[in-house]
Formats: sequence, structure tokens, C-alpha cells
Amino acid sequence: MQKFPARLVLGLILLAVITLAAVFAPLIAPYPPTASTTNILGAPSAANFFGTDQLGRDVFSRVLFGTRVSLQVGAAAAIVAVLIGAPIGLAAGFFRGWVDFILVQVIDIFIALPGLVLALIITAMLGPSVFNLSITLGVVTAPTVARLVRGQVFVVREMLFVEAARATGASSFWIIRKHVMPNTMRVVWSQFAINVSLAIFTSASLSFLGLGVPPPAPDWGGMVRDGSSFLPIRPLLSLGPGAAVALTVFTFYLVGSSMNDAFSRRPRVAE
Amino acid sequence: MLALIASRIAIMVPNVVLLTFLLFASVTSFLGTPAAIMLGENASPEAVAELNERMGFDQPLLLRYGDWMGSALTGDLGRSYATQQPVAQMIADALPLTLELAVWAILIAFAGSSLINSVTFMRSYVQRVTAAVSVVGITIPNFFLGLLLIYVFAVELRLLPTTGWSPWSNGIGAHLVHMILPVVTLTTFYFSSFSLVYRAEYESLRGSLFVRAARSKGLSETRISYRHILPNSILPLITYAGLSLGQLVGGAVVTETVFSMPGMGRLLVNAINTRDFPVMLAVGMVIIVGVMLLNLLADLAYGIVNPLVRHAR
Repeated sequence: MQKFPARLVLGLILLAVITLAAVFAPLIAPYPPTASTTNILGAPSAANFFGTDQLGRDVFSRVLFGTRVSLQVGAAAAIVAVLIGAPIGLAAGFFRGWVDFILVQVIDIFIALPGLVLALIITAMLGPSVFNLSITLGVVTAPTVARLVRGQVFVVREMLFVEAARATGASSFWIIRKHVMPNTMRVVWSQFAINVSLAIFTSASLSFLGLGVPPPAPDWGGMVRDGSSFLPIRPLLSLGPGAAVALTVFTFYLVGSSMNDAFSRRPRVAE
Repeated sequence: MLALIASRIAIMVPNVVLLTFLLFASVTSFLGTPAAIMLGENASPEAVAELNERMGFDQPLLLRYGDWMGSALTGDLGRSYATQQPVAQMIADALPLTLELAVWAILIAFAGSSLINSVTFMRSYVQRVTAAVSVVGITIPNFFLGLLLIYVFAVELRLLPTTGWSPWSNGIGAHLVHMILPVVTLTTFYFSSFSLVYRAEYESLRGSLFVRAARSKGLSETRISYRHILPNSILPLITYAGLSLGQLVGGAVVTETVFSMPGMGRLLVNAINTRDFPVMLAVGMVIIVGVMLLNLLADLAYGIVNPLVRHAR
């Protein structure tokens, strides 16, 4: 990697800002996120940058605290996706044959199905909570991870050092742990940020549909949903948290995709 | 070609059975028995047991699935617990709207991404703009984009209606005007992701022999781009369109909610919120079968456009 791509720099700067906002939310926010006041649907002012919502809560403070909820759900879901998807992909790629055939069938079906609808039905069954949401979104993203890992394992397992290990009599388990895993996880981690962005995207959509993080937690999707009734008079109630979702998803996508570009061996096509 | 179709269908049928069974099992076993929900929290255990027996909820799972699937195949999807309407009728009312939304979105994204990304006039500038639009378009959530469009075009500029939907019977003009913002909302993601896929393929074909041959014949760059590179570059778009159908359904659910349009998405969200089993199951099944059928269609379309595939396997 000769040059540090500008996209990655921009992404990392935005990521730092968002992370700092999440960590220092209690210090930056002018008000507690769930404190109701009598100033209902107040206009944006110097005291309330984004105005106040239908319960008199400061929307700017809620958006700031919402960063914590979003990052938690996003990171947890992406980790769950790796924990479930990576072993499946490893097994399919390494053992091939009928194991691979069956696993790929299952993976492909779940990739084809609408992730959002799947998540809707699963959260309806489990009940909405931050924990359940993270698990659900992790499960929904897992097939993509599995497919990615499988593809990479196909490449790695044909390499000479794997053949050498097999020739010396190493067991499959040992080869997977010592040779295949380390060479595969590189791809998984470069996809990690993209999975976080996908999880934040989906979780906000679920909350917007009324099946995400339960109130009164300051959750962006829920805030957009509540605020959308007042769009004509107080646009920032919904557009403020909506922009926060968009910016966060954009940031993680930017970091993830530029890391993918940087780490992938494929030469970039010259213009 | 026939062998290809047959092999695809042979894989599809067990998949549909398996998925609908999973759907049925999870929906019916996790959400509590429908009888308890229908009778409310204060119902006596006897009343619940009685209703369970009368409606057949106490039968074994496989038997209930068989019953449900059997009547579904004859077009009987039961009645909604919430409204007592036949579910098949509710689906028949909601499905055309969602399909129309999805078809517009895909068509516009398909045509737009391939035509715009093939321009030769000031190509480097056009490229930069579409690249930037693509990254934003892929990451912007539907609900945010939808509300933003409503705010700008309906609230501030008063050019278009805010929300709602106007059936064809109210006139084509009113119908199309109501469709503009939802279609733009839904198509943005597809235009952006199609652009990324299309551009990558386009760039990789630019140096091909057939392009150089066309250039040495003296054809204009525009003609080379649209007549020679474009038809070859849309191949991966077809595959990608098939793969992203699932996301299209998810996007349609959110878009319909933003614009309060009475389509499948709203039907599903309402059914989940009111624990309306027959509607949930029916919408789930329509989505599963629909996505699989359209995937099959995408495969076949690919087979038609690219003769090599027809003879594979």
C-alpha cells in the first residue's frame, strides 16, 4: 500500500468524530436524553439546537445519546455475524463435497430473502430489546460473512503451504487453525465495517417501523418515526436523527469499502 | 434451455417448502397460541383450550402446516384475525401496488445506471458525479431520503403531494404524481448499486479486442460505448438485480410506510403489530415465493442474453 487513500482518511476522521460523540455524550449534551419538559415541540434555538420533541425532550441531546445505542447494536451485530458466519464458511470451504453443497444451499436461500423482513419477523418473535436486536441483525448478516469466508478458503486451501502441512501429516483441524483461519480472517475484518454499517441501517429501519429499540431509549429510528408526524412544522425532529443515521452508515461504509480496496490483491482498474 | 429451467425448478420447490415450513413453525410457536391472543389476557384457560380445539390449534405442527399449505394452494389463505376479511383478498388488494413500485424502481435504476454510466461526453466529470451519488445513494436510509424528499418537494416547494396514494381509477395523472416520490426513494439505492456494478464491468471491457476493432473501423466513441460496450456490460447487472430482490422488498416495506401507501409492506407491519397470524403467514409466503420466482426469472433472462449459460451443466 503506497498511498493512504483520501476516502479512507475522510472515513476515519468521521469515525473518530462519531466515536468521540458517543463516548463523551454525557459531557457534550446540554440535557439528559430522557428528561421531559413543558416546552413541547419547541422551535430550534440556541438552547435547543434541533428543538424539542412531543414530550419536551431536547432532540439534539437525544441524537447525541442515540450514537451510543447505534454503535452498540452495530458492533454487536457485526461480531455475532462473524461468530456465526465464519465457522459455517470455514466448514463449507474446507470440507467441500456434500457439506459444502448443503451449506451453500442454506446460505444462498438466506441471502436471497429480504434481510429486513426476516429481521422484522425474528424481532416480532423475540420481542424488541437492544440485545435481541443485535442477535437478530447478526443472524441476518451471517450468510454474507459465510459466503465471503468460503470463497477465501477456496483460495487458501489450494496454496502450497497447506499442501505441505498436509504432507507432513497435519490434521484438518490443525491446518484450519494454523493456516486457513489467519489467512481468511483478514478478508472478514476488512468487511467488518461494512457489516456494522449494514446493521445500523437495518436496525434504524426496524425502529422506524416500530419494532426496534423500545422507548424511551434515545434511538434514531424511533425518533424519526415519532418526529415524522410533525415534519411540516418541526422538520428537524425527524430529519435531525435521520441525518445522524445517514452519516453514521455512510462513515462505516466509507471506511469498510476503502479498506476492502486497500487490502484486496486485485489491481485497481486504471481510468 | 429447458434443462436449465427444469433444474432450477427442481431446486426451488424443496426450498419453498422448507422455508414456508420454517416460517409457519416459527410464527405459530413463538408468538403464543393465537387463541390466547384472540381472547385477550383475561380469558379463562378453558375458553382458550376450547377455541384451540375448535380452530385446530392443538393439532401437531406438521399436520397444521399441511392443512395451511393445502388450503393455500387452493387460494384459501384464511381470514384475518383483526378484520375478519379473507386474507387472499387483502393480498390481492395490496400486491399490485408493491409490484408497481418495485417494477418502476428497478426499470429506472437499470436504464438510468447503464445509460448515464456509458456517456462519452465529458466522461471524467460525469463519472465523478455518479461515483459520489452512488456512495451516498447506497448508504442513505430509505426512511430518511423519503422524509427529506417530502419535506423539500411537498412541504417547502408544494410541487407534489406529501403522502398517500391514488388508485389508477382516479386517473392516470393523479396516480403517477403520487408515485414520483416513492419511486425516487426506492430507486436511489438501486441506481447507485447498479452504477457501481455496471461501471466496474464497463471499465474492464473498454480495452477489449472487440472495442479496439470497432474503433479501428472508425466508429464514433458514442456509438462504441452504447452499441458495443453497453450490451456486454449489462450482463452482471441482471445477475445483481436478481440477487438484490430481497433488499428491494425490504426497501419497499419502509418506503410504503414513509408514504403511507396501502401495499404489502404496510400489510406486513400492521399484521406483526397486531399479531395477525394468517396475514403474517400469507405475506411471508408471498414474499418467499415471489423472491424465488423472480430469482429464477433473472437466471433465465441471463440465459437468454448470454447463450453460453444455456449449455452449462
